[in-house]
Amino acid sequence: MERAKRALAGLSLVVLAVSLVSPLDRDGTAARFRRFAAAVSGDPAYRSDRMSFWFDPDYAAFLDDVRRRTPESATVAVLVPRRPDLYKYQAYYRLAPRRVVEERWIGEADVVATYHTETGRGPGGIEIIGGRLWTR
Amino acid sequence: MDAVSRVLGPDLLRVAVALATSTGAGACVSRKWTRGLSRRERFAWSAAAGLLVQAAVLLLLLAFPARPDAVRILLGEAAVALTGLVLSRGGGAGALSRRPASAREKAAIVLLAALAAAAWLVFFVGALADGMYATDYLAFWGYKGKIVFLTGEVPLRLFRDPALYFAHREYPLLVSFTLAALAFFLGNWNDQALALLYPFAALATLLAISGFLARRVSRVAGAGAAALASLCVFLYRPANAGTAEIPFALGLVLASSAAIDALEGGTASVTARLVLASLFGASLKQEGTLFVFLLAVVLALHLRGRARLVSCAALVLPASLHWIALYLLRGNQTRRDFDFTLFEPRRWLELPALFAQVVGRFLSIGAHEALLPLLAVAVYLLVTRRGIADALLPVFPAQVLFYAVAFSVSSFDPMYAIDGAFRRIAMSLFPAFALVLGARPASPTRAASPGSI
Repeated sequence: MERAKRALAGLSLVVLAVSLVSPLDRDGTAARFRRFAAAVSGDPAYRSDRMSFWFDPDYAAFLDDVRRRTPESATVAVLVPRRPDLYKYQAYYRLAPRRVVEERWIGEADVVATYHTETGRGPGGIEIIGGRLWTR
Repeated sequence: MDAVSRVLGPDLLRVAVALATSTGAGACVSRKWTRGLSRRERFAWSAAAGLLVQAAVLLLLLAFPARPDAVRILLGEAAVALTGLVLSRGGGAGALSRRPASAREKAAIVLLAALAAAAWLVFFVGALADGMYATDYLAFWGYKGKIVFLTGEVPLRLFRDPALYFAHREYPLLVSFTLAALAFFLGNWNDQALALLYPFAALATLLAISGFLARRVSRVAGAGAAALASLCVFLYRPANAGTAEIPFALGLVLASSAAIDALEGGTASVTARLVLASLFGASLKQEGTLFVFLLAVVLALHLRGRARLVSCAALVLPASLHWIALYLLRGNQTRRDFDFTLFEPRRWLELPALFAQVVGRFLSIGAHEALLPLLAVAVYLLVTRRGIADALLPVFPAQVLFYAVAFSVSSFDPMYAIDGAFRRIAMSLFPAFALVLGARPASPTRAASPGSI
């Protein structure tokens, strides 16, 4: 009886362990090992922000350009697609320490940057990578 | 400057040095009350104490006009370490009398340790393969840390700017302060190198589990529970690097292990560990306060007299004082996640339906995604003997019950909130649960006392 209980306990732990590890994506893991090796070796083709912009790889260049063209003390209104919300969060994060605001606070902004939105098709401003920029 | 094409190695090494020095400072501070614990446990307690020391040093430096850097952080940590050493003078490390393992047990331990090491390595590489990209990292944990690093202060706008309505101004700040401190040590904000914090916290968690169970139950139980926790892919996955869940899991394991020791009779060392675990858990996530309060209830039910009073106070007071300190720093904050008007009498009738809806969703997730593991846990509990940590078993369903209540008063669609967060926050409980499961197969047979010297 004691041996049967031990066997059952061991089996239940094996089932639990297999269930826990089952979400592991083998192809994704192999790809991460390759990317890690590329990062450590300094592969020039490697970019650490690749996963951050899975939803729109072109968006990174737009934010980089806005960052280059605006002082750190500026308040920047970013008019970007609403979905996914990562457009908004990436703008706040990448443009830090600038104060970033959404369209509803546009009146407080020193700079307005638009990316793939209807509002961005208005007159004026200068063309930047992937969008337009208005400075007040 | 964001790192997009920089060689990772040098920055990674520097972050590793920052984590090593903070752990060293933590070891000096915690030396007095970790005597008698296994080396692996001492490492985990030192890591947690070190992260708190590092954040405290950062805040102290930010209070002065000089910008924090590696040298200043090192000097601050050295001062704290020296103070810790002076205060803990006398007495050596407590020796653990350990029954020699049989050849079969040794083979099992090696196999399980290799499994845990392999799982940890997969997480290590995954976490560091890319810059951190989790939504929660970008929106608040990493965002706040980056703002602190780039501005050299904790600007009030983090708590007052209406444009940051999504950034959870009410959340504890240890993760953000840790990322900022590591960045100050590094000298730049490299969100790929900073991700080392997460495999580091995972390692400390696994060592805490295996070390605790090796001391209190058996080395095989320790290796088994650590291997089980390491395989929790839903927690230890690259997408969770940058969030608070992985360090939080360490906090829960430390709090649980200290509470289990306290159940056997409190000593000053155990009380000090409860204090640290409470502060560490509450500084990481709001749920940490809930967890330590639930542990306090367990101790209140199982202890008597002065031991009960001291142990409960050791858990409740630090978390409460942390909340007061956070309140003073950030002022009163509304919790946009929750609609507390549902607790007003006029809306009480809405609550049962919402609660039923949430529990239904939980059960649906359990039935469709976790039926087999839940059955496995049930069978394991049925066929194993009572363990030293059984008193803690109700804490886990109680914590999930509170999550159900919280989702019921969500300001947003509760189903949306559950689908977005429940699995992640529930799985952060798993390493502590694995610790409790691992304590079941055998009764305590060891000579080492929980209070330890």
